[in-house]
Amino acid sequence: MQLQFDPTSLVPYFGDLAAGARLTALACALALAGSLLLGILVALMRTAASAPARRASAVYVDVFRNVPFIVQLFFLFYGLPEIGLELSAFATGVLALSLAGGAFTSDAIRAGILAIDPGVLEAADVSGLSRAAIYRRIVLPIALRSAVRPLGSVFVNLILTSSILSAITLNELTGSAKIVAADTFQPFEVYALLLVLYAVLTWVVSLSAGALHRRLNREHAR
Amino acid sequence: MMRYTDFTTHDLLLLLQGLGVSAALFAATTVIGGIIGLGWALLRYYRVPLLAPAAALLAELLKNSPVLVQLFLVFFGLPVLLETDLTPVQAALVTLSGNTAAFIYVIAVSAIESVGHDQTETARVFGLSRWQTLRRIVAPQAAAFGFGPLAGLLINQLQVTSLISVIGVIDLTKVGAILNLRTLKPFIVWTVIGLLYYLMARLIAGACARVEARLRAHRQWKGL
Repeated sequence: MQLQFDPTSLVPYFGDLAAGARLTALACALALAGSLLLGILVALMRTAASAPARRASAVYVDVFRNVPFIVQLFFLFYGLPEIGLELSAFATGVLALSLAGGAFTSDAIRAGILAIDPGVLEAADVSGLSRAAIYRRIVLPIALRSAVRPLGSVFVNLILTSSILSAITLNELTGSAKIVAADTFQPFEVYALLLVLYAVLTWVVSLSAGALHRRLNREHAR
Repeated sequence: MMRYTDFTTHDLLLLLQGLGVSAALFAATTVIGGIIGLGWALLRYYRVPLLAPAAALLAELLKNSPVLVQLFLVFFGLPVLLETDLTPVQAALVTLSGNTAAFIYVIAVSAIESVGHDQTETARVFGLSRWQTLRRIVAPQAAAFGFGPLAGLLINQLQVTSLISVIGVIDLTKVGAILNLRTLKPFIVWTVIGLLYYLMARLIAGACARVEARLRAHRQWKGL
């Protein structure tokens, strides 16, 4: 038995992998924006006074947290064309990531909202601010600021989950690595490199989220 | 060519079979991963040189990379490197066990660290060996501490099993893909598959809640 581990022959394929990485970055950035929008909306619904809003948002979070992402993805990828909605694999992937990410994001933001001192909200209420102003100027800034670190780990999960988009023919980082592995007959080197790449990427993201969190909350450290 | 686009009773058997494969692989890899992860945590507890940091690094790598890439590395990469053959089920067993082990390790380490140093110091002064301290002092408290995160992990790992369909294991998700291709009724098929996963997750959450209630039973005031 001879052990061969020769990553140098992968150098000509770095361009392909970089193109895949760009697609992953784009999908994750769009899905992050989508998750945040959806997560804020759902978090507000979950902390709302209206019971139907609370119930509907709880069902959404419960379903999207307890069904595997690949099942959600296939549901959208094969299901949407059935109802006449022809989306590209990329758009479907971003939509699926946003829907799943929204459920986890809403959890982080909800925790931030619930941690707000009720006295602050009462003070805002008696000072005559409108509801929209209270949400926009008081609730969301405080909730989002205290949720930066948990949101960072949601984003890390989003990046790891985005590898599953390769299952719907999208050649993001994992998808393009599959092609390189088949071309070079060096699957071990390719996937080992890929594994380390993802680990470094997510490590940088969680370090940055931690630093941002400390910076934004430095005056409110407990 | 004839197409059987209607659902048949055979599909029900196929669904049950997929459900069984997913449940069995989940159970097996939870047990194997649990044992390996606790072993890694023991290496750290005993501060074994080289092996302890190696386990920490491996856990960190597995925790921070996509399970799909780990699956590809094991299923496509390992056979080439070692010049052996791996069936999809073997590759799934290896990958999911390793991945579960990484998360069990993290939970076990933070659970062990949740037990204050004053307690372990006291145990040492009383002449307890490191193993006795672990067994009698640390383990019971760490188990109670780590149970909440463990319940969350189990539900997550159940969902992770769905990825083995990509390397060709006929699990619940793969059965979904087969039925989807044949019946061309994606909404029905994926709703049923999703529902089955949801019910399994509920089952696990319910079982964990019952065990946790028993673990906390001693804290409840039972009256004099």
